[in-house]
Order: sequence, then C-alpha cells, then structure tokens
Amino acid sequence: MESSFKIAIVDENPLRAAILEEGLREAGLCNVVRIAERTNLLARLTTVDPDVILIDLESPSRDVLEQMFQVSRVVKRPVAMFVDQSDAASIQAAVDAGVSAYVVDGLKKERIKNILDMSISRFKAFSRLQDELDRTKTALGERKLIDRAKGILMRAKNLPEEEAYALLRRTAMNEKRRIADIAQSIVTAADIFK
Amino acid sequence: MKRLRIGYVPLTDAAVLIAAAERGFAEAEGLGIELVREVSWANIRDKLILGHFDAAHMLAPFAIATSLGLGHIRVPLVAPFALNLNGNAITLSNELFVEMIMQSGQPPESPVETAKALAKLVARRRERGGPPLALGMVFPFSTHNYLLRHWLRLGGIDPEQDVQLVVVPPPYMAESLRTGLLHGFCVGSPWNSLAVDSDVGRIVALGVEIVRHAPEKILALPQRSAEQDPETVFRLIRGLRAAAGWCEDRTNRTELARLLASPRHLALPEHIIYDTLEGNLRVAPNDLRRANPDFLQLGREKTNRPDPRHAKWLYAEMVHAGQTSFSNKAYDAAAAVYRPDLYERATGEAALPATDDPVDLATGPRFSERDPAAYLSAL
Repeated sequence: MESSFKIAIVDENPLRAAILEEGLREAGLCNVVRIAERTNLLARLTTVDPDVILIDLESPSRDVLEQMFQVSRVVKRPVAMFVDQSDAASIQAAVDAGVSAYVVDGLKKERIKNILDMSISRFKAFSRLQDELDRTKTALGERKLIDRAKGILMRAKNLPEEEAYALLRRTAMNEKRRIADIAQSIVTAADIFK
Repeated sequence: MKRLRIGYVPLTDAAVLIAAAERGFAEAEGLGIELVREVSWANIRDKLILGHFDAAHMLAPFAIATSLGLGHIRVPLVAPFALNLNGNAITLSNELFVEMIMQSGQPPESPVETAKALAKLVARRRERGGPPLALGMVFPFSTHNYLLRHWLRLGGIDPEQDVQLVVVPPPYMAESLRTGLLHGFCVGSPWNSLAVDSDVGRIVALGVEIVRHAPEKILALPQRSAEQDPETVFRLIRGLRAAAGWCEDRTNRTELARLLASPRHLALPEHIIYDTLEGNLRVAPNDLRRANPDFLQLGREKTNRPDPRHAKWLYAEMVHAGQTSFSNKAYDAAAAVYRPDLYERATGEAALPATDDPVDLATGPRFSERDPAAYLSAL
C-alpha cells in the first residue's frame, strides 16, 4: 500500500538525492521522483503531483513550496510537516539533519513518520560522509604541509629526513600543539625569509 | 558577553544587522552576534520558532502572518525594530520592454505608463490565446507581492486573473528572466540591479515610486523569549540603532558596500551594492539611471521605530490579496506584533508626531488605520 505513495525529492545535490532515494526504495517506497531543477519548480511539481515532497533545507526553493499553500487550485494541497505539531521531536530532528517535508493534506501521520525518519537518517549519513571527505582532504593537505616543513628543516639544518620529522614532533609535543601547526609555522616563516 | 545567533537572508537590507555584528555596535552593548546566512524565508521561520535562532531578519508581513497563524502554525513573534523601509523595485525582461515600445511607439517612462503599456500586452496575449505573463516575487507574505499588485492595478491589470504571480528565490530571478520562465519580477536589492547588469532586464519602477514609505524587513523574535529576557532585547535594539545610524551616514557608504559585498555575506559585486545604498540605480542596458533619495532607508529619524500602522496596512494588503479574510481581532493582533514600546524603552527616543498616512501610496487611496474598510474598497 505504501509503495503507492509518490514521493518527490527536491535536492540539487545528486549524491544526497541518490542516497535518500535508495533508502526509500529499500523501505519499499518505489515511487520516487528526483527533481533537480532550480527554476520552474512549481510547474514540474504540478506535473509530478506527489503525495510527499522532501526538500533539502539548503535549497532556496523552499519558499516556492510555501506558495503552494496558497495555490491549491494548481496542485493538491500540501501542508508543511510543522502544521501537525504532535511530533515535535522528529520535526526538530529533521531541521537538525537539514531536511524538510511537505505532505498532501489528509495523509495519515504515522505513515509519513516512516518516510521522515528515513530521510533524517539518510541526510545524517550523507553529512557524515561529507565530513569524512572533508577530513580526508584536510589530512592530505596536512601531509603535504608536513613534507614541506620537513624539507625546509633538512635543508636549513642539514638533517636527514627522520631527524627532521623527529624535530617537528618534539617541538609539537613541547609546545602542546599539533605537528601540522608547527609545520605551518615553519612554512610561513620560510616564506617570509625567502 | 551575551551571545546571540541571528539568521538573515543575504540582501542589502540586512545591512544594519551585519554592521551591528561586525562593526562593534553589538559589542558595545555587551552582545556577541553570530550571524547565520540562510537561503529561504521558510528556513528563517522554522529556525526562529525552533529556537535555533534568537532573532532574525524577516519580511515584515511574514512575521505578522506567522504571528496570526496564516498558512502555518501560529507562533507569536514580536518586531521591536524596523531594519529598513523601501528598497524594492520591479524589473521586466528586455524582450517584454521592446514589445512595449513596438506597441506604443515609444518607451513608457513612469510606473503608471509602464503598467498601462503592460496592460496592452496582456490584452494582446489574451486575444491570441497565449499563456498569461508570469511575474516573480519572493514570498507570498512579502511587501514585494503587494507592491507588484499595486503596480499592476495602476495599469488596470487584475493580478489574479490577468497574470500569474509565482514565488521565485532572488538568486534565480535573473536566470528565470533569461530563460523566459519569468517576464518580470519584484525583488529587493540588489537583485534588480543584478538583472540589469547581466543584461537580461530593465528596472521599470522603484518601490518608492509606488508606495512612498513601505515597511520591509524587521527584526523578529519569538514573543516568549522577548518577555523572558527584555534586557537583552533592549541591548540589541540599542546596538542596531547605533549601527543603523552608521549605515545611513554617507561617509561610511564605501565601507558598508564592501562589507556587504564580501563572500561571507552577499558575495555580489560591490559597485552594485553601493548603487542601491546610494539610491542611484542603473535601470537599463544603456547606462540610463534613476535616482531617488528614499529608495532605501536604513537608519533615518523614522526608519527604525516600528510603526504599528505599518503592520495594519500589511494586514489590509493580505486581506486584499485574498490571503485571509478581515477580522477586527486579527487586525489588532497584527498591529500588536510591532512593538514601538520596546524600541522607545531601549533607545529613550520619544515617538515623533505621526504623519496622517503611514505608507502614502503615490497613486491610490490614502490609508487610515481607523478605516481599513474604506481603503480596501477604494483599491
């Protein structure tokens, strides 16, 4: 029965939309349409005519959906998840995760809850993924920085590589700072003295 | 140092908030403001009512609609500070403007002439069985929506029947004009200028040429938190008032334009923002300009004290746009969102003698708070 729901995902981030769609399909909700359009969203939604709209909070198009409260002639009348305040915790969780839902009036609340919960967990999974990616990028950047600092020390103090690294590490420990921070100071100083 | 998280949408009229947070005015009141940039008014509302934000830059009619529970849950908000008056404009696509010139033999000049020229195009489209013109505005409960409706009526165009009014987020306006999804729009600064600069549109009316003193953005707080901690609200109002004075001072204009243009705020060209602060806008591809000293008011004598009659006018506009039906109770509740009492207690500024018409339509009926029905029936 639930598979007859038509769910529209409005998200400009194709990766996140795919992760969300996959989650919904795993839960047996197969009638999912992804919408990536920035313009003409209202017309597109009118054509798709979904029962539930999931939208990323980073999308300026949320304000377009707000207008749908007023143009009920055009689309089936949707309401924001906020209108039913009976589940404040999941509303809070949704906003924390960065997703909002618009639901066609009259749909049973408990059936929406599954969809919302799924979206929240997928949005969270996506932002974990994003964090990991950012951390990896930072780590790679730091690795390069440390290599540069090591090279500077090796040339300036005529040290072999291991000793240059040991010096970096010792300094970091003595000053209670991270090796990458010490490396940054060395690189900056070397740039100034160049 | 008391810390406050304040949400805002990157627009020229967030200037007073940004200056308060980053030019030491809030700090002087013992407040540390963390500004959070948002992409939609719906986000601003949700985060304000969930307590993620302590206060927010908000469309004045949206704060009223939220307080009345129109289209959404009812959460009473207060507006103890008006962040600006005016600042909007109406832009039409270059194609449409050329069509107007072909139709009338010469370019229409005033807002009234332009609206009348548009009416001819609307009629011609209808005769030919074409789809109605699509005009963009930023939010259902926005001064932009009401300004656009006033302007259309100046030309005898029915905003409900003759054209299609659609919400389009400001960053997508120029793009929608280029692709032909929109034929024109009403938006805040600096988005009209951006459309002119990217050679897709022409500014045909400044908001101030339609409504001389239009309420626009206010500082909104949940009523409950304002009641719990009035001292913080007073400090915030004082910090904002000082910042507003700084923003209004022409000698700071270059610095303010640079501050707003920075990547963490509007991330748009500085010269465009400067022009909108100056009220001297390039309106057409050929460097034609239009200047009006009242185009955008950030911190003049009467800008920042919230005038409850503005709230009443906005409520009347909602009624006229069919967004709600009139009730005396809601009319008073709308006025009660505006809190000049908090402003006056914080700043010690006394109320100035009131002008008899708080909004002053350039063409149209006068608005008297005692007789909204007369205003509505005269529109």
